[in-house]
Amino acid sequence: MLVGCHLVVACNLVTSAPIIAHGLVRHFGSGDNTVRAVDGVDLQVDQGEIFGFLGPNGAGKSTTVRVLTTLLKPSAGSATVAGFDVATQADQVRRSIGVALQDAAIDPLMTGRELLDLQSVLYGIPKTRARERGDELLERVGLTAAADRRVGTYSGGMRRRLDLALSLVHEPSVLFLDEPTTGLDPMSRLTLWEEVRRLNREGTTVLLTTQYLEEADQLADRIAIIDHGKIVREGVPRDLKSAVGAPTLLIDVDSTHAESARTVLARFGDLRPTSEGTLGVGLVQGAEAVASVIRSLDEAGVHVRHLELNEPSLDDVFAEATGYRLEGAEAKSDAPATGARRGPR
Amino acid sequence: MTAATATATHVAPPRSFATAVHHTLRLTQRSVLGRLRQPAALAPSFIFPLFFAALGSASFQRMSKLPDFPASSFLNYTAAGAIVQGVLFAATSSAGDLATDIEQGFFERLLVSPVTRTAIVIGRLGSAMVVAITQVFVFLGIFLAFGARIETGVVGFIGLTVSGALLALAMSGLMSGIAIRSGSPEVVQGSFPMVFALLFLSSSFFPRQYMTGWYKTVASWNPMSHVVEGMQGFMNQPLDIDQFLRAWLIPLGIATVSIMFGLRALANRLAAQ
Amino acid sequence: MNTSIVNDAPRSATGREHGGHPLSVSGALVRRTLLRVRRMPAAFVPSIVMPVFQLIAFSGAFGAAVRLAGVKNAMDWYVPLNAVQGASFGAMGVSFGLINDMQTGFFDRLLMAPTKRWALIVGPMAGSIARAALPVALVIVIGFLGGMNVPGGPLAIFYVAVAATGIALVASAFALGLTYRMRNMGAATLTQFAIFFTIFLSTSQVPLSNMAGWLHAVARVNPMTNVLRLARQGLLGDITWNDTWGGLLAIAVMLFVSCWFALSGLKSLEK
Repeated sequence: MLVGCHLVVACNLVTSAPIIAHGLVRHFGSGDNTVRAVDGVDLQVDQGEIFGFLGPNGAGKSTTVRVLTTLLKPSAGSATVAGFDVATQADQVRRSIGVALQDAAIDPLMTGRELLDLQSVLYGIPKTRARERGDELLERVGLTAAADRRVGTYSGGMRRRLDLALSLVHEPSVLFLDEPTTGLDPMSRLTLWEEVRRLNREGTTVLLTTQYLEEADQLADRIAIIDHGKIVREGVPRDLKSAVGAPTLLIDVDSTHAESARTVLARFGDLRPTSEGTLGVGLVQGAEAVASVIRSLDEAGVHVRHLELNEPSLDDVFAEATGYRLEGAEAKSDAPATGARRGPR
Repeated sequence: MTAATATATHVAPPRSFATAVHHTLRLTQRSVLGRLRQPAALAPSFIFPLFFAALGSASFQRMSKLPDFPASSFLNYTAAGAIVQGVLFAATSSAGDLATDIEQGFFERLLVSPVTRTAIVIGRLGSAMVVAITQVFVFLGIFLAFGARIETGVVGFIGLTVSGALLALAMSGLMSGIAIRSGSPEVVQGSFPMVFALLFLSSSFFPRQYMTGWYKTVASWNPMSHVVEGMQGFMNQPLDIDQFLRAWLIPLGIATVSIMFGLRALANRLAAQ
Repeated sequence: MNTSIVNDAPRSATGREHGGHPLSVSGALVRRTLLRVRRMPAAFVPSIVMPVFQLIAFSGAFGAAVRLAGVKNAMDWYVPLNAVQGASFGAMGVSFGLINDMQTGFFDRLLMAPTKRWALIVGPMAGSIARAALPVALVIVIGFLGGMNVPGGPLAIFYVAVAATGIALVASAFALGLTYRMRNMGAATLTQFAIFFTIFLSTSQVPLSNMAGWLHAVARVNPMTNVLRLARQGLLGDITWNDTWGGLLAIAVMLFVSCWFALSGLKSLEK
């Protein structure tokens, strides 16, 4: 019987995903001024996964993270993290998660080592172990040499690495990273990606929000695309891209010929949303159809300045789901900036 | 873009006195608007002096019954000190705006325009005077409503107003110089203790004759004591030339020096660029 | 080096068993306060300079008024006032510090710590006492140099310290509550105004018997009057229970209310 009970418990542990949300809603304001920053999000992040949450600024990513990390209470719906309810078991949730938010949450007057010591106290790590742990993490993120310097003298990349180290002090099983590479130079970004992959290989489940397509593509096992507080697509990046179907032919034409060009392109496939000054069409036949397109444009008197054929990208997936491109776009959401953090008004 | 060369739609006229005045008035207007749009920064220079005046009147009323007290009531005594306090605070705070302009780059925007250079400083002084005159009107209005009297009548009212404006000019010139030299609002803020010292180590809040020892000596040497006593004369004594000499000439003298300091600071900053 | 930093033992679902002990967390936050003071002394200097300056200014300017009320030395009257005022400056520091933490996002890190919420309040409050120690001590020393009388003996100085400590705690709790709700520099300004008016609309300048009209009515009901009475008694005469209990009660009640204000403000952030 004892073996049976253990088996049931083990099964529950196996089937209980680290992050589960059902109909999660978070609104701000009231009455006519209500803004639904998160508007019915369902998601499940499985054990050992890197889950990417992709969307433009104001889509609801950070608000969702803040609800899941107990910084905000859900207005409706439910969520569990590490098996604990975020609304009623906030303390247990906090013990199980590590969080690195959008802005590196550090005190510029303290040194890296002092911050790690403080973080250890906050999580009840005994002093002897805390010092060891701090040294391990500093070495891990490459900040040993700078450990006794004030954080205010650190570069942006160093602050992010320290922020990551702080979120790992208590060996959390679930890690939330909210736009971890925003503002970093390409080298620092790559370093951080490698770090995330390493953590994941060691068993940490990661929920990562980003507005960078490449980051989601490179890191995430599965992604969810969020727009205006709702998840519009979810799945493995490869599958999502191939579901979009045809590659996109992008052409630059003179603005005086744009209408004619549009008419021509519409004969070859679906017109796709593009950035300003460019037209796009989905070519089911791929590269084989390019010559015909050029000939038809030429016959219509359209002068093509530039063209390229792009395989489906996450931006195409996003465009197909939302009607606009993620790159260079702001969400047309009314979500207030203060909903994303508890900063000063 | 057309092949035609883009030309300015308006060419700035050669600098003249009229231009300088126009620029000064325009920048004064900008500074005054800037002050009005920061009520949280402006309010303390109205609230605190009135509060201290009310507190002093209620606390020291017994003192005012003494036969040698230099006013009919403590309210009458403290009116001048309240004006001086408000003017000094407002002028210091206004210089902080100038330092902010430098820190945030608006100062350089002015420099790359054909604006008369002195207008950048004089405009700021002008706004300090406008605020000071407003303060005098508001304070005297409130004091009169609560029973104070201006012994010298309308002449005294004008005397107090001019004195407040000249004091604002003096303080603003000094603080603007500090703002331009440092380019830092924090440094200007750091000058507040000096303002406190000037005010408290004087007869702004209490008659000098009741002070003793080194405190009385310092207060006697402090030019602020004499300015305040000149203004108190307008409130409490028959009209006398001494009131004008103290309440006008001393701030005017300080203003002359402080404006030169401010303009010199501007010249040095321009030379360094 | 490619060491794993994650424990190879099966990770428990709860991670750390208990989280940070609230007293340890509070202690760490006090240490952090002192660290910040040491590393940014310019921000701390006004809270030392202003009470000392005002002690000298008030006793010099208004000394005659208090002597008229029967006080032997103006220092006897103003040392408790400026000690309490110096202690209250710590509240502004608490507010500025919290705003700064909110701006940098560090406050979120504290909020996510698995510890009792009250530890996040007690820490800064205790830190404000540490900040208050130097200005209060300086004011007392300057008082002695200025000829302050101490007929009540060492207990008189103790009561000055008790009053100052009580006001430091009350003011910092109030500052926290306001800052949690407003989340901008307006909270620091409002804190300053509130503390300033509370202190000065009491027996700050003259005894109750010397006051007139509206000020007398306000000062009579202002709890600060009792606190100042507690602090001043040993410098003006003998220490009596009659002059003591009112001040202690006033501090206790204000502390209770301000702590509730702070805790409810913190809870409102998580809504």
